[in-house]
Amino acid sequence: MFILNPQSGTPIYRQLMDQVRRLVASGQLPPGAPLPSVRELALEHAVNPMTISKAYHLLELEGVLVRNRGKPMTVAARAQKAAPREQRRRQLDADIRELVLAARQLELEKEDIVALIDEHWEDEDARSGRQRRKT
Amino acid sequence: MREAVVSAEKLSKSFGHKEVLHDITAVAEAGDVIGVLGKNGAGKTTLLEVLLGFGPPTSGSAKVFGEESMHLSERAKARIGFVPQQDELIEMLTGEQQLKVTSAFYRSWDHALTGRLISEWEIPMDRAILKLSPGERQKLALVLALGHRPDLLVLDEPVASLDPIARRAFLKQLVDITGGEQRTVLFSSHIVSDLERAANKIWIVKHGRLIWQGELDALKESVVRLHVRGRRELESGLGIPNALSERIRGTRATVAVAAWNPAEQARLAARLDADIEAEPLGLEEIFVELHA
Repeated sequence: MFILNPQSGTPIYRQLMDQVRRLVASGQLPPGAPLPSVRELALEHAVNPMTISKAYHLLELEGVLVRNRGKPMTVAARAQKAAPREQRRRQLDADIRELVLAARQLELEKEDIVALIDEHWEDEDARSGRQRRKT
Repeated sequence: MREAVVSAEKLSKSFGHKEVLHDITAVAEAGDVIGVLGKNGAGKTTLLEVLLGFGPPTSGSAKVFGEESMHLSERAKARIGFVPQQDELIEMLTGEQQLKVTSAFYRSWDHALTGRLISEWEIPMDRAILKLSPGERQKLALVLALGHRPDLLVLDEPVASLDPIARRAFLKQLVDITGGEQRTVLFSSHIVSDLERAANKIWIVKHGRLIWQGELDALKESVVRLHVRGRRELESGLGIPNALSERIRGTRATVAVAAWNPAEQARLAARLDADIEAEPLGLEEIFVELHA
């Protein structure tokens, strides 16, 4: 379900948080959907369980996940999820930084990235069959 | 704060005139999985050995479970599992015989666990230890260190002679035995990618000094490589605080920085009249930069 790269400069807990947020945002993890247990994920990826629980804990604080006694964590209902827009924007900082860096190494212009984002945005809409919400 | 399982305070160790460890203060708390990282000869093995009381510190102190390492009670010793770099298996014995000898030392022994690991790791138990491959010996030594379910597990280069498949199996085992229980693991390795997976904290040893200790996540978040693109030729000595290394070519420079504060980026860019991008670094690159 998740792609974790321990060798990355981005800590594992952040990678996991980003991916959960994305899956939730795209609807692939709908409200109420269960997450794998800390132990399951730690074993599957051979990574420290504390790293996984740190990500889950932070996502719980953000209101993305809900802890359930003795059961797997689940995705929070949508109403609880909506964090202020500015806060949600900041969550993309690390990814954007990486994107900008890569684009510059390829000697691309800002317009190139914007166009690419547009393209992928449309693709994703088509794939998820999701109507773009007007803000 | 969790229980301090292993602690060093102002610990130094010399052999003759040669100082191998210098002024080390560090704590491993219950549940920590600490990766001890350093070049060969940096002092990793000596550090682990002095912490466990195999020799006295020249100055300062080493403690395990709150007891002086040189005078550990039997009770404390029974809570420790240790796999040295050179195993201490009895070469004439078969694996099976060695298992009997080792397990007899302990009041309780988890035969189900050792049995499961022996079959999972395909360790030939009916052969003389002398005849085992280095990888098989290492796996056997690990199994024997886990059998009494120690609260503290100390592993000196535990995976050095294992192939990538066996290393992954070992790491999963490590996750398995640490998860849920408050078991503390201290393991040294120069295989950075293994430490990166299994450890939540890192100690970096360089020339006998502990030059970094703390959460792996924090380390990754604080050390970055800045890519500087100046509008004019850059001159050496950019004067960036906490710079570990600096490479300048014309209008471009790459600078590795420790303790990076993202809030500084705009001010720095203005001062240098340059665009700056901060690239996060993996542990291996951080390690290399810390040795630049």
